[in-house]
Amino acid sequence: MVEDNVLAPTPAKVLKSENMTEIEKHIELELLDKEFVKGFVYKPGQFVKVGVMGVGEAPISICAARKKEDILELCVRKVGRVTNAIHRLKVGDTLWIRGPYGNGFPMEEMEGSDLLLVAGGLGIAPLRGVLQYALINREKYGTITVMYGIRCYTSMLWRDEFLKLFYEGDKNNVEFYLSYEDSSDKQCYELQCERSDRCMQGVVTKLFELKEVTPEKTYAVICGPPIMYKFVVQELMKRNFEPKKIYMTLERRMKCGVGKCGHCIIGSGKNIKYVCKDGPVFTYWDALNTKGMI
Amino acid sequence: MYKILAKENLYAFFDALENMGKVYGPVKVGGSTYDFREAGSLDEIDLTYTRTMIPPKKFFVKPKETIFEFDEKMEFKEQPSNGEVNVILGLHPCDINALKILDSIYMDETPDKYYIQRRESSFIIGVSCTPDEYCFCKSMGTSYAQDGFDLFLHKIDKGYLVRIGSEKGYKMINDNKSLFEDAKTEDIEEFKRNERERMEAFKLELNVSGIQDMLDVSYDDPVWKETAEECFGCGTCNLVCPTCRCYDVIDYIGLSLKSGERVRRWDSCMLRRHGLVAGGLNFRPTRVERLRNRFNCKGSLTDGSLNCVGCGRCTVYCPAEISFVEVIKKVRGEL
Repeated sequence: MVEDNVLAPTPAKVLKSENMTEIEKHIELELLDKEFVKGFVYKPGQFVKVGVMGVGEAPISICAARKKEDILELCVRKVGRVTNAIHRLKVGDTLWIRGPYGNGFPMEEMEGSDLLLVAGGLGIAPLRGVLQYALINREKYGTITVMYGIRCYTSMLWRDEFLKLFYEGDKNNVEFYLSYEDSSDKQCYELQCERSDRCMQGVVTKLFELKEVTPEKTYAVICGPPIMYKFVVQELMKRNFEPKKIYMTLERRMKCGVGKCGHCIIGSGKNIKYVCKDGPVFTYWDALNTKGMI
Repeated sequence: MYKILAKENLYAFFDALENMGKVYGPVKVGGSTYDFREAGSLDEIDLTYTRTMIPPKKFFVKPKETIFEFDEKMEFKEQPSNGEVNVILGLHPCDINALKILDSIYMDETPDKYYIQRRESSFIIGVSCTPDEYCFCKSMGTSYAQDGFDLFLHKIDKGYLVRIGSEKGYKMINDNKSLFEDAKTEDIEEFKRNERERMEAFKLELNVSGIQDMLDVSYDDPVWKETAEECFGCGTCNLVCPTCRCYDVIDYIGLSLKSGERVRRWDSCMLRRHGLVAGGLNFRPTRVERLRNRFNCKGSLTDGSLNCVGCGRCTVYCPAEISFVEVIKKVRGEL
């Protein structure tokens, strides 16, 4: 660790690297520099730059609430050069971390309200952090509704964890809804037969047919592929959600994470935003005022 | 604080600068092309130049630099600063105001160590200029440098009226007292007259009133597609822009496979890769989005200052002859 240099990464040891699907791994890291750990406090929705020496760095969102100060959990889809290199690492290998970056979700602001988490595919990763945080601080939040859209059964992330919530979440006032796109998927069809009130075939917005949401006391939190946002927002606006109570987290190319390299700039002359430092979490109100956000 | 540097003391002034560090200044490198180069003597420098092709940002945001070296010991080692002092002589007000914008970005709450080291070890000397047909800094409010320099030289008949802009500048004057004299009333009068005449010499104007909203409301205007059809997408406008500072980061591995370096280099928002993420999704997929993004970025504010300083470089050096001012006028419906 080079002092006073925001671009200097800190080493982290791979404690766990588990295949969740063919392309996604759940990676648990231990931060090795204990001095660095003292200042390493993160919130759900923040991200880190994850680097493999000689390959490069990629922005990856943190997928768990902070439980132990030197442990960091990431969900990495192998999709590019850096993420493929991360997938090749074995337990005990070192990778390099900078961050945390970004604003994260306003967990304090949402206290006292119901939460509606809408995730598509890999979008569940940052929302898992929100969910865990809310479950750790269970008394601070009302009903937690999760709408998770997947392609098929085998593409479901944290399958055991989420199926447990699917079946048993209600005990803890958590309603877990699942949608799947592949109509020929037998396992998902079985889930649907078992719990037709919680599972549907189709895109994630179909799940609004199963759940009455009450905009007055609910915060919506969205993450998914870019195409998903406007359709989910449409559903929420039909139900008169306040634009400032719809939160979403965005993806962009990022090299620095600290508002210098310019890749993540969005908006018009009137309202330029850096996704890395002004976001990645924005409200729908921000989107209404920032051209090209969703 | 205002001093007079007489013509006959210029060579001695240059020598004094050389004692402080390496002196760079506008050097003619081609027909009408200037570049900030290291100068061995005052005669190599032309202080009446119009504009350099590459702006002085190159001293602070390097075109290409190693930020870390790494080796088999698995450590990132920062490239140490060489501690060299660079004296940069002859910046125009637009370029000084552009540096202030870079300062706001690179020296914010997450400051860039490399930038700060270089900024702190530089000595900036501005010089007054005469606008040509491409200059529109007057419209952008950047035709005068209030601060952001150590010394500023305003041409007058007997030499230069010198404004002192920093403690470093004050120390330089103090260390070389014999070269300077106090400014007299007639010098001040001449300085004012010159500034008045300079302001009247501008031929190009751009109405920037409400430009942020004008850009916002024109987000889907056909002007972007029309201009994009002319544009080659080469990124020259980014390279020559004094406030463009996007950078890319690349890791290079040595042939031994045991060591390597992390390098950053100038990037361009006009290139296809700029908005591309892993997996193949591009947030600015065509030249239309990229061009619009660039104009919107330039028309937006950093700490209350427009990100365009009106230096005219992007227009002068555009191989497709796209005029920045004309595009904005089209956006405003004036053309």
